[in-house]
Amino acid sequence: MAGNNNIIEMNNVGIRYDQGPEILSDIKLALPQGSFHFLTGQSGAGKTSLLSLMYLAQKPSRGQISVFNHNLNFTNREQLASLRRRIGVVFQDFHLIDHLSAFDNVALPLRVCGMDEHEIRKRVTELLTWVELDSHMSDKTSTLSGGEKQRVAIARAVINRPDLLLADEPTGNVDNIIAGKLMKLFVELNKLGTTVVIATHSDKIINDFAYPRLHLQNRGLHIYYPSDTSVLGGLNV
Amino acid sequence: MSNSSYISRKQELPLRGENTSLFLQVIISIAVFIFAITLSGVLSIDSMIDNWNKSILGSLTVQIIPTNDTDKEKSRAETLAYQEKAVDFLKSVNGVIKVTPLSDDQLTELLSPWLGDEVNISDLPTPRLIDVKISPDADIDFSQLAKDLAVASPQASLDNHKLWLNKLIAFADGLNLIASTVLLLVAAITSGAIFYTTQMSLGLHHNIIEILHIIGAKDTYVAQQYAKRMAFLGFMGGAIGLFFAVPSIFFIGNLALEIEGGIISDAELGFTDWSIILALPLFSMLISMLTAYYTVKKTLKKML
Repeated sequence: MAGNNNIIEMNNVGIRYDQGPEILSDIKLALPQGSFHFLTGQSGAGKTSLLSLMYLAQKPSRGQISVFNHNLNFTNREQLASLRRRIGVVFQDFHLIDHLSAFDNVALPLRVCGMDEHEIRKRVTELLTWVELDSHMSDKTSTLSGGEKQRVAIARAVINRPDLLLADEPTGNVDNIIAGKLMKLFVELNKLGTTVVIATHSDKIINDFAYPRLHLQNRGLHIYYPSDTSVLGGLNV
Repeated sequence: MSNSSYISRKQELPLRGENTSLFLQVIISIAVFIFAITLSGVLSIDSMIDNWNKSILGSLTVQIIPTNDTDKEKSRAETLAYQEKAVDFLKSVNGVIKVTPLSDDQLTELLSPWLGDEVNISDLPTPRLIDVKISPDADIDFSQLAKDLAVASPQASLDNHKLWLNKLIAFADGLNLIASTVLLLVAAITSGAIFYTTQMSLGLHHNIIEILHIIGAKDTYVAQQYAKRMAFLGFMGGAIGLFFAVPSIFFIGNLALEIEGGIISDAELGFTDWSIILALPLFSMLISMLTAYYTVKKTLKKML
C-alpha cells in the first residue's frame, strides 16, 4: 500500500456514527498524485464524510487509509498535524474564525507553520488581491457576504500551496464569473502538482471541466470518466 | 482598508474576552493573598526557631539545689561545696570550654524582678547556678552527663536548655506543618480552578480548535495561547494579592511585637524571606502557565 505515488489510498473503508448504520461501506480508492476529481452524489450520500476522512478529521470505523504514504493506523498526533499542513480544505460552511480579519484567517496555515510575518504579509496580500478581496483585508469575516467568505475560505485553503486540495461545494455561493475564476485557480494549482478533489452538485462545472467523477451511491463509491457515461464498476485502484 | 490594521495580529482563540478571566483573576488574587500571609508565618516561625537555637547553642546551666539544714551557714557552706565539686567535674568534661559559677550579685540580679532589690539571698535557700559554655563541635551525651554529674555532686542537676526548648520547637514545627499544608492546599485549589476554567474554555472554543487542527496546528500551538493568557492572569492576580498582603504582614508583625516576653519578637523576616514573598506573582504566573499548558495538551490528546 505504501511507497507508490498515490496521495490517498483507502481499502475496505467503512464509516458509521455511534451505533448507527454505515454511511459508507467497503470504499476502495486511490488518488494518484496530480489527479483532479469531482466528487458527486445526492445530498446525504456521504460526500462530506468521505472528505472528512481525506482531511484527517476523523478515523474510519473500519478499513485502512493511507495519506501521503502514511498508514493512519500507525500515525501519531504530531505526524497527523504535519500531514494536515499539506492539505488545503474548503468547507461548505467556510469554517472561518469570525472574530479574525480576512487577512488573519488566510494567514492561519502559514502562522501555524511558523512562517516569518513579513513573508506572510506578502503572500496573503497578493492572494487576497487576486480573489478581489483587497478592500476587505481588515474586515472581520463575520461582516462579509457569503461569496466573500467563500473566497476567504478558498484563499486560506490554497495559501500554502497544498499537495492535496479538498473542496466541498467551493463555488456554491459565488456568481458564475467568480466561480469560473476560482475553478481556473484550482486547475492552475493542479497543473503545478496539487491533487484536487471537488465535491459539487453543479452539472455545469462537471461538464465544463473534463475530469473523472467519483460518485457516491448506495453507500459505495463508483468512478465515471468523462468519455464514458456508464458506471465502470471498477475503482481507480 | 486601513494600511496597517490587518497587520496587527490577533490571537485565534479569543481568550481575552472570556467571562471567566475576571473570576480566575479574583481567585488567584485571594490565593496569593492567603499564600503570602501564610508563607510569611512559616518563614517567621523558621527564623524564630533559628534564633532560639542560636541563643542556646553552646551553653547549658547546672543548678545546685541547696541542702536542707536549719543552720543557714552550714547549709550555705555545704551548697557551695557541692557547687565546687560540680565545677571541678564539669571542667574535666571533654568539650567544656568554660565553667562559671554565678556570684551572689549575679543571682540577686536574676531574682530581683520577683523578690525586689533589697533581698539578701544569703538569707534564702536559693539554688546556686553554674553557667557552662561548651564547644559547638562537642559531641556530648547530655543524659549521660547528667547522670555523671549527679554522682560527682549529688545536689547538682543539669539544665540543658534544649530539653525544654525542644517542646517549644515541636509546637512551632507543628504550626509550621499546618501552615505548609495550607500553602499546598492554596496552590492545589488555584491549579484546580485553572484546570477547570481551561477545560471549560476548550469546550467553548471547540470549533476554533477544530479549525486550527484541520489546518495543521499542533497541540502545542493551542496550548501556548492558553499558557500565555494564563501567565498574564496569574501574574496580575498575584500582583493584586501581594499588594494587599504586604501591608497585612506588616500589621500582623506590629501586633506581634507588642506582645511582651520576647518570644515572638524573635520572629523576623529577612531579606531572603521578603524576596521569596515578593516573588509570589512570578510563582503564581508559573503555576498558572504550566497548569493551563498541560491541561490543554492532556485534553486535546483525546481529540483526533
